[in-house]
Amino acid sequence: MKSINLKENQFIQFHQKISFKFDGVKYFGYKGDTIASALLRNNINLVGRSFKYHRPRGIYTCGIEEPNALVQIISEYSEPNTRATIKKIYEGMEIESQNRWPSLENDFGSINNLFSPIFTAGFYYKTFMGPHKKFWKNLYEPLIRRAAGLGKPPKDFKGISNHIHHNVDVTIIGGGLNGLLAAKSFINSNYDVLLIDFEDQLGGIINNSNKISLIDNKDPKDWLKETIQEIEDSKNIKILKNTLVTTYNYINHLIAIEDRFVGSKPIEGKVNSTLHKIRTGHTILCNGHIERFLSFQNNDLPGIMLSSSFEKYMCRYGLAPSKEPVIFSNNSNSNSLVYSLIKAGLKPKAYIDSRSGEEIEPNLFDLIRKNDVPLYTNSQIKGAFGNKKIEKILVEDSSSALNEIKCDCLCLSGGINPDVHLFTQSKGLLDWDEKDLTYKPSKPFQPTITLGSASGQFNFDNLNSDVNQKLKTFKVKKLDVKLELNTNTKYNIEKLWEVSPQKKSLWAKSFIDLQNDVTTKDIRQAITEGFDRIEHLKRYTTNSMGTDQGKISSINALGIVSDLLDKKVNEVGTTIYRPPYAPLSFSAIAGRNCYEFYDPERKSPIHSWHLKNGAIFEDVGQWKRPWYFQINKDESMHDAVQRESKNVRENAGILDGSTLGKIEIKGEDALEFMNLIYTNSFTKMKQGSARYALMLGEDGMVKDDGIICKISDQHFIATTTTGGAATVLGCMEEYAQTEWPNLKVFMNSITEQYATFNISGPKTREIMKKAFPNINFSNEEFPFMTFQFHEFNGIPLRILRASFTGELGYEIYIPSNSAPKIWDNIQSVGKEFGLAPYGTEAMHLLRAEKGYIIVGQDTDGSITPIDLGLSWMIGKSKKDFLGKRSLTRSDTIREDRKQLVGIIPSNKADKLEEGQHIILDKEIKSPVPMLGHITSCYYSSTLGHDFALAVIKNGRSMIGTKAYASTSSMSTTGVDIVKPVFYDEDNKRLVS
Amino acid sequence: MLIINCPYCGPRDQSEFSNGGEAHVKRPDGSKEIGDREWGEYVFIRANPKGLFYERWVHTHGCRKWFNCVRDTSTDQILVTYKLDEKKPNLNNFKSVVKTPSGEPEVGSGNFTVEK
Ligand SMILES: [Zn+2]
Repeated sequence: MKSINLKENQFIQFHQKISFKFDGVKYFGYKGDTIASALLRNNINLVGRSFKYHRPRGIYTCGIEEPNALVQIISEYSEPNTRATIKKIYEGMEIESQNRWPSLENDFGSINNLFSPIFTAGFYYKTFMGPHKKFWKNLYEPLIRRAAGLGKPPKDFKGISNHIHHNVDVTIIGGGLNGLLAAKSFINSNYDVLLIDFEDQLGGIINNSNKISLIDNKDPKDWLKETIQEIEDSKNIKILKNTLVTTYNYINHLIAIEDRFVGSKPIEGKVNSTLHKIRTGHTILCNGHIERFLSFQNNDLPGIMLSSSFEKYMCRYGLAPSKEPVIFSNNSNSNSLVYSLIKAGLKPKAYIDSRSGEEIEPNLFDLIRKNDVPLYTNSQIKGAFGNKKIEKILVEDSSSALNEIKCDCLCLSGGINPDVHLFTQSKGLLDWDEKDLTYKPSKPFQPTITLGSASGQFNFDNLNSDVNQKLKTFKVKKLDVKLELNTNTKYNIEKLWEVSPQKKSLWAKSFIDLQNDVTTKDIRQAITEGFDRIEHLKRYTTNSMGTDQGKISSINALGIVSDLLDKKVNEVGTTIYRPPYAPLSFSAIAGRNCYEFYDPERKSPIHSWHLKNGAIFEDVGQWKRPWYFQINKDESMHDAVQRESKNVRENAGILDGSTLGKIEIKGEDALEFMNLIYTNSFTKMKQGSARYALMLGEDGMVKDDGIICKISDQHFIATTTTGGAATVLGCMEEYAQTEWPNLKVFMNSITEQYATFNISGPKTREIMKKAFPNINFSNEEFPFMTFQFHEFNGIPLRILRASFTGELGYEIYIPSNSAPKIWDNIQSVGKEFGLAPYGTEAMHLLRAEKGYIIVGQDTDGSITPIDLGLSWMIGKSKKDFLGKRSLTRSDTIREDRKQLVGIIPSNKADKLEEGQHIILDKEIKSPVPMLGHITSCYYSSTLGHDFALAVIKNGRSMIGTKAYASTSSMSTTGVDIVKPVFYDEDNKRLVS
Repeated sequence: MLIINCPYCGPRDQSEFSNGGEAHVKRPDGSKEIGDREWGEYVFIRANPKGLFYERWVHTHGCRKWFNCVRDTSTDQILVTYKLDEKKPNLNNFKSVVKTPSGEPEVGSGNFTVEK
């Protein structure tokens, strides 16, 4: 195919040469070229290999509907599956063809074409099922994946995109003739309007074809310039160019993707695409139409393209892909291509129309006669032939005689479809037009308006009245635009979906889906095999399941199916068009919500100290907490945890508890409120004392726990679990607003305002004395579960005597900014007493040894305080608190509920596993009655063996008996059921 | 972004809000005897209609106030928002235009784009 530059073009800068590489070879194009137009300029039409059969493929279209010309952009982090027909070239762009090896010209995979008779519909389903299931996963799938496919996914993820939200009254999608007319109506109105076009130029049909000769007695290009200027000047209209609407959701919610680097290389570190999220009152769809192709033998050969695409290359890119293309059509839409060719001084090699002479438009007839174009009416192309490019076609004329025509390019038109993707995404309904042979929008589901060819108006007669009528609700100014056409026609089409091949052959292929290599034969076979429902047929044959969603071919498939089944197309129905309209990259969807921005990281004020001191971190919610501290690189986690926990039992340990939730509750009715929120009663509690408290859901199940400090009846500070802080605050606020609005109480999170250090161990008192010499830490002055306010070097402190390790312990609350100073001080004075930091894992172990539960680990939303043996925490004399009534429901007072117990292996050397079942029999004979499961399990060097907490049915009554724990090796371990406390049962150490 | 009209802050993006389930469900008075059924219904039973629905929302990433609204669950449209202490609007004042998206049969796959 030899192309020719048409020098007259306003969009291509012929003085500005641009070099790019395709498959390693350097070529030149011009500023404004797409990859496709630049390749065509260089007479390259073989641009890829097909998905399944590896057949040579060329450039079929000139837009987003392209099924074949998908390329990999090496210079953009190897971006795959880029449509060559829309991506603009820039200096130094590197492009590679896809799905070929070792090269595009000599592709090994094309051997598939020889075997093609066996690769028919359902081939994979039928062939790769045996002999063993594993064969699919380990052998067939990897092989097929290598041979079939599109581009290679990039290794690096570098694209940056941002998201922008819009809230407008009207969104106009498509800046073609109708979109511009709609926008024109809204100029200087009270509506906020968004006008979105996918291209870098507004104008659509005015730019892409020679259909229109005059608008308002002006050259269309001049009219366009003026109109765009008026729209740009209007303050209420915003224009988004290079922006493709991919998705139309509920309540007029649109998603559009904007390319920020059209025609230039994306700059690393800069936003290269913007995802627009648009909420609009009304959507006006002016997104035009898409031309269909036709099926005949070898309709996939490079050199075949849609006729409107050929015209678009001429008008938009100043390029005729061929000097003398053959045109094959069944409708009037290709008239303007003939006009454009002749206007450019070129001539079609032949014009072939399946319609009879009487039906062909008189204007076209005259044009063809006047220019001596060979005309074949009532004729069809039986097949195209050539080696990696079209060389000749076989035409069956009206007298059924066969004519061979040599040609290097064939332009096809099988009719046009309104681009209904977005309309159906919006849940609007379609209706089949028997005259125009296409589905057209009928009933919108949302405030959606369709204009122009997007609404199925393929003629321009009613242009003004249609726009005025449909925009009536807005009460905007009425249009009166005068339009004159070059090819003055009414849309006319004759039914033709497929031409059968001249010779029947197993290798003869008429494609119905170019991207997925589906042939018309596959469709016949699927129907023969019973897949006659359109949705089944689609999946069985993979027809229209490519990234192009069969934009140029899906209606043809419906036509063929309706003929085969002898049903009306409306009865056959359509498959669903699903978003996105065209593929968009994951990076565009992710926007800035990736890497460190994916989820905020929360760090304690001591974080940098932890980093310096060998902390290995654990994620607790958004918090980074030290899990354990490595004293050297070789220390294993087990060793570190045992060392840390032993040190707490023998000397003293310090834990950074800053992540624990802290909520301050204040107000006249704070006491009453706290009594309602927690199970405990705080009425008789002394000022300055603290209490371990439980919070339940209304279903009576444990939701959170913490320590409540009572400063006065009007002032409390509650701690929550690290993960539960937001929920607990939310719950308090909810009840304060919705159930007890009469209570005067306010609450606020002070988690980040205060750091918390938990120091515990037998030597803690000596460390505290040394660190804070002015405070009396004696048992008498500072008893267990009390707190005091102090000051140290001007830093306010709140010290609470509490412990969740079972040892003597203090919690120090310090304003976050001063926390590192106090931490360092404690570290240095603690050294001589063997003070060492410990992490969350050692904390869990120490807690478990004492039988202290962890909400969320030992409880799972189905455990009441009674199940945990914590009935003493329930303020039974209180009239009401969250979940109180649920504690006396028939289900919660059942005797055989799962209850918390301790488990130790009968043989102390045995190991236990978290999550394993407790059962009664040594032998596992299914069905095994399961009593419950191990909720947490540790090895304790203090005890010298494994131990566990478990919830088991009627567990408390089983204490002292033996049972078995299942193991991951499908056997059992004998265990003793014991009280859920393994260490210092009398709490002597706690209150020492 | 769907816009929700917070009765305290005005129209804001939906992402600032959290849903709180059915509105106007009264918590039984804890100071009185509560029957198993009454309590069970309060804790576990909520309506889930297709169409107009009284619903609670909270302006989580805003004023943190709870409020009520009427939402059409078949279209996600929020028809009115009002403060907790305001009277609930009569549902007859609103028209639930579309009960089933795209007019498909009430039972079915929803895979219809062609008018039947
Ligand atoms: Zn608010």
